[in-house]
Amino acid sequence: MTATSQDPGRALAVGAGPTPGGRKAPRRRRRHPLTLDYVSFFVMFLGLPLGLFLVFVIWPFAQAAYYSLTNWTGFSADFDVIGVSNYLRLFNDELFRTAVWNSARLALVVPLVTISIALIFASLITVGGSAKGNIRGLAGSDFYRVVSFFPYAIPAIVIALMWRLIFDPNIGLINGVLTAFGLGQFESYPWLGRVATAMPVTMFVIIWGMVGFYMLLFIAAIKGVPAETFEAARLDGAGRWRTIRSIILPLIRNNVQTAWIYLGIIALDGFVYVQALNPTGGPANSTLVMSQYLFRTAFTDGRFGLASAMGVVLALVTLLFAAIVFSVNRALGGRDEKGSSG
Amino acid sequence: MTNTGTSVNRRSVLIAAMGLPLGVTLASCATGGGGDDPADAEPAGNGEDQEVDADNPFGVQPDSAVEAVIFDGGYGIDYVENAAEIMQANFPDMTFNVSGTVNIAPELQPRFVGGDPPDLIDNAGAQQIGFTTILNQLEELDDVIDAPNLEGEIIRDTLFDGVLEPGTYDGRFVAVNYVLTVYGLWYSGSLFAEHGWEPPTTWAEAMDLGAAAQDEGLYLFCWGQEAATYYQTLAIDSAIKEAGDELRLSLEHLEEGAWSHEALQDVFHAMKDIIDAGYFLPGGSGTQFTAAQAQWSLEQQAILYPSGSWIENEMADQTAEGFEMRGFPTMALSDSPALGANAIHSTAGEPFIVPSDAENVAAGKELLRTMLSREAAEYFAREKLAPTIVAGTVPEDGFGSTALVSQTEMLEQAEGAIFTHDFVSRYGMNQEMLVVWNSFLDGQLSVEELTNDLQSITDGVREDDAIDIIEVT
Repeated sequence: MTATSQDPGRALAVGAGPTPGGRKAPRRRRRHPLTLDYVSFFVMFLGLPLGLFLVFVIWPFAQAAYYSLTNWTGFSADFDVIGVSNYLRLFNDELFRTAVWNSARLALVVPLVTISIALIFASLITVGGSAKGNIRGLAGSDFYRVVSFFPYAIPAIVIALMWRLIFDPNIGLINGVLTAFGLGQFESYPWLGRVATAMPVTMFVIIWGMVGFYMLLFIAAIKGVPAETFEAARLDGAGRWRTIRSIILPLIRNNVQTAWIYLGIIALDGFVYVQALNPTGGPANSTLVMSQYLFRTAFTDGRFGLASAMGVVLALVTLLFAAIVFSVNRALGGRDEKGSSG
Repeated sequence: MTNTGTSVNRRSVLIAAMGLPLGVTLASCATGGGGDDPADAEPAGNGEDQEVDADNPFGVQPDSAVEAVIFDGGYGIDYVENAAEIMQANFPDMTFNVSGTVNIAPELQPRFVGGDPPDLIDNAGAQQIGFTTILNQLEELDDVIDAPNLEGEIIRDTLFDGVLEPGTYDGRFVAVNYVLTVYGLWYSGSLFAEHGWEPPTTWAEAMDLGAAAQDEGLYLFCWGQEAATYYQTLAIDSAIKEAGDELRLSLEHLEEGAWSHEALQDVFHAMKDIIDAGYFLPGGSGTQFTAAQAQWSLEQQAILYPSGSWIENEMADQTAEGFEMRGFPTMALSDSPALGANAIHSTAGEPFIVPSDAENVAAGKELLRTMLSREAAEYFAREKLAPTIVAGTVPEDGFGSTALVSQTEMLEQAEGAIFTHDFVSRYGMNQEMLVVWNSFLDGQLSVEELTNDLQSITDGVREDDAIDIIEVT
């Protein structure tokens, strides 16, 4: 390996060559002399992408893992390797445990609620229309489809800042409307400043921004299901709710799984939203998430070593999350999908 | 001085250890240890072959380039650009690059690691680089202070007293804090005149004023989420004024039980009474801080706001017509506080630093020397309505600013009873303390809970082996 490191392209081509052909590869390689054509093909289509992937994805990961074992400040080239003491420190840091728990709460609630709403909307727009005649969506569904996509077209930071103003205790729209309806207890109520409401409001804002896109994803998936399936279900007497549960959900299972993982990753990060809504970490740190604590540790405290350790933990939690989603899907009978979709 | 050699070695070792096939593209990796370029590392313009005289005390190469990165906050960056123009007149062949950012630490971090930081940095703002982090990578700036300014006076003789302290860490003077800041409470002169109110001098008077304001449907105080700790500064200032240096040093050294000091406890209780009486405009814990400050300066729902003297400039666009902003010293507990009724918390802010690894250290210092000259300092005072650390740049009428006039008055009336404290930002505790203060001001915490929470934050820092406690006098 040390010898090949001189020439990434060639090294990868040789290393990666056998993979597609499996065990047959060695024989095939003997049949192909190393002509310029043959080598350049592998360099261009396997070596280059793989090389870029290694340099820009795997190498930074490896670096972060290495730095997590050091006391690097991030501002000088000097540091010492201090073993796992950054990790020990993290496990003893109550604030970090709070941040992990907050991130976990986001990862549990945001995908669940977003997918439920998106699925219901998508069903209404595609097959939720009149029970007579062709299978179709609600009247005006084209309009809803466009409108509900609007939030996704707005950058996350703008969404968060906008909602922060809407939830402002004294000049915000929400409290203005609530007090206008005679709910006096909401006068000057600090939605983002109380433990009871800060996290739910944060979740609401993320969900609000995400529903439109996942609705479109599910609409596309539902359109891929033959209309006869829905007609048959209707003939068998299935109502709308039954159709969603027994027809749509099983048939677009893979899309839901993908959505779940994407949303989970967004929620586990969540940096833009929490930083804009509650830059301080929220009341009693109730909205402080891992990425926010990581940013603070790295740039405010000048502890890139410790921050890298947080990054590694965050990456592991994210992988764990994906693994859980996969196994839950499989446990719920997703196995039959495996063969068809690979 | 530079770490280039060692870093290259470590990187090569690392590559070998990882066994990863990496080509020349390595330098572009995200968290790079790299960017080092041995050819560039040799600092130019270090005076070896350039003559040094009174007009060029640091031996700047007349055809070199200088780069300054300035925190683009309340004061903008034009005052440094102005200094660069003045310097250009003396060095016509030099190239100047003055740029601004609000994200000092994230933007400059890779450049510090790469051994290629700018020649002059205004390391300020919420994203400032922690001084304890980069202390040994900074030039000592005594030679700048001991150099003559452009008018020929020795700079040290032109400065206010005590303004070099905040830039001195463990005996090394590494940061010129350029702007003089006075902490106190700020109010509308016209509003107070209209109601016949007087600025309170004790917490008891503040309580009475709160009642008077409530009668008019107004609040005594308001606060914003990111600035809740302004009330911590107020409390600390008031308690130090009452109890003197003993309390100040115990806080600065993060001593055990520092927050339980009697004076501090009395101030907390006085604040708690004001909170419980409903004299704080509710909702601050969910309000963005400039929006909250506008509740005081523009909507005038609250009548007092504790802050540093940057407040006038910060709220310039959001201040009511005829506001007549004035300041007064922090309230004391008793009529005869230890430091005197006119004692104030004042310090210098906007720390300018020159990294040792910078390509043109001499020019960084020269630009700083230019800024400390009268012409540039007067420009700052006039444009920003705030004094720099250079004394005598503000005329009697304060350029028409009542806030600037009362600032000068507070400094004069203090008669040397000027103190400061810096432990909160020095050890990066503000973020954690904000959370506690938002809850306290929102009425969610008792004085005891507030004390315990603050104490556990300072205890955590003191007991952290990775943090050295700096001796303060």
